[in-house]
Amino acid sequence: MSTRTPPAGWVSSQGHYAGAVSRFLAFVIDVLVSSGLAALGLAATALVVQVVTGHSVSWDRTNIVVAIIFVAWEFFYFGYSWAASGRTFGMAVLGVRVVRADGHGLDPWRGVVRALVFPLSFLFFGLGFLGILVQREHRALHDLIAGTAVIYAWDARAARIRFLARDAEAGPGGR
Amino acid sequence: MDPRERLLSAGKRLTDPAEALAQRIAERAVDLIVQALDINQLVQRVDLDAVLGQVDINTILRRVDVNALLAQVDVNALLAKVDVTVLLDRVEVNALLDRVNVDALLGRADVDALLQRVDVGALIDRVDVNDLIRRVDLDSLVQDTDLGAVIAKSSGGVASEALDAARSQAVGLDQFIDRWVGRAIRRRQAGPPAPAALLDGEAES
Repeated sequence: MSTRTPPAGWVSSQGHYAGAVSRFLAFVIDVLVSSGLAALGLAATALVVQVVTGHSVSWDRTNIVVAIIFVAWEFFYFGYSWAASGRTFGMAVLGVRVVRADGHGLDPWRGVVRALVFPLSFLFFGLGFLGILVQREHRALHDLIAGTAVIYAWDARAARIRFLARDAEAGPGGR
Repeated sequence: MDPRERLLSAGKRLTDPAEALAQRIAERAVDLIVQALDINQLVQRVDLDAVLGQVDINTILRRVDVNALLAQVDVNALLAKVDVTVLLDRVEVNALLDRVNVDALLGRADVDALLQRVDVGALIDRVDVNDLIRRVDLDSLVQDTDLGAVIAKSSGGVASEALDAARSQAVGLDQFIDRWVGRAIRRRQAGPPAPAALLDGEAES
């Protein structure tokens, strides 16, 4: 299997502010993963309740209890991930990380604050996210409130070498 | 007694005192002459160049045991008296080096013994490894050597390749969108590419 070597412009981007596409794709992955886990958890809970009590439980999306559980779970998913490691699963896949605005490692409490104010960016049709596009440091509203920024944290140089190595192994015909 | 022997004995009795007397007179005369002579004046009259011109110095030197002579010389004391700096100032080093056959010199050198005397640790301590690595053309290294195949085989499979591709494509799109947004809003001055702490790290590396 050969891959055409991408241009080397991205190689030096490690540590730079992450852009909109990377962050959006990471968010999409996180929403899918967290929702899937939430659905699995609810299904498992329903199964346990049915086995123990004999009553069948059906989770209705309009049920306020389900909504509260889902919101709490999402807050836990994002808040714990940012507080513990500065990245969620989706961010790890896309190779981005949350850091303090000055570039140092994220304090756990900032991760929690970021998760708490994260919904504010969705207000007014997601106006808070506009900062990722137009702000010079690509910081959204919740970043500005929590004093955080998102950077590329994957080893692009190592990836570049892997690309070159695959090309070299494939030979001139594979390019 | 034989008359011939008797005659010889009588002659001897007569000549011995005469000979002793002549010896004493000669010694006395030489003393008087030497005392009367001014040796320095005499030496000044001697044409030493003419005398030395008649001497075959090479023949004399051939008879000299130079090793025995040098054995008696305290070379260290002699060298201590030599001002090496002044001596070296008078040496034209470039001309000297032009006359040196370096290949022949190196052929005589025991390189292994020389390397054993080298303190490799101290040598490496003086090398700026980061600067050295920055000078390496990794692209050429990976593409032109078997290193590429080794890395390709050891650096994961399809998942790793897909992840690298997805990330690099995403960064490319990020940069593309950032350029267009910058033009659309007529951003005059680009912001810092990274947070201050990471920019400092970039500058140091």
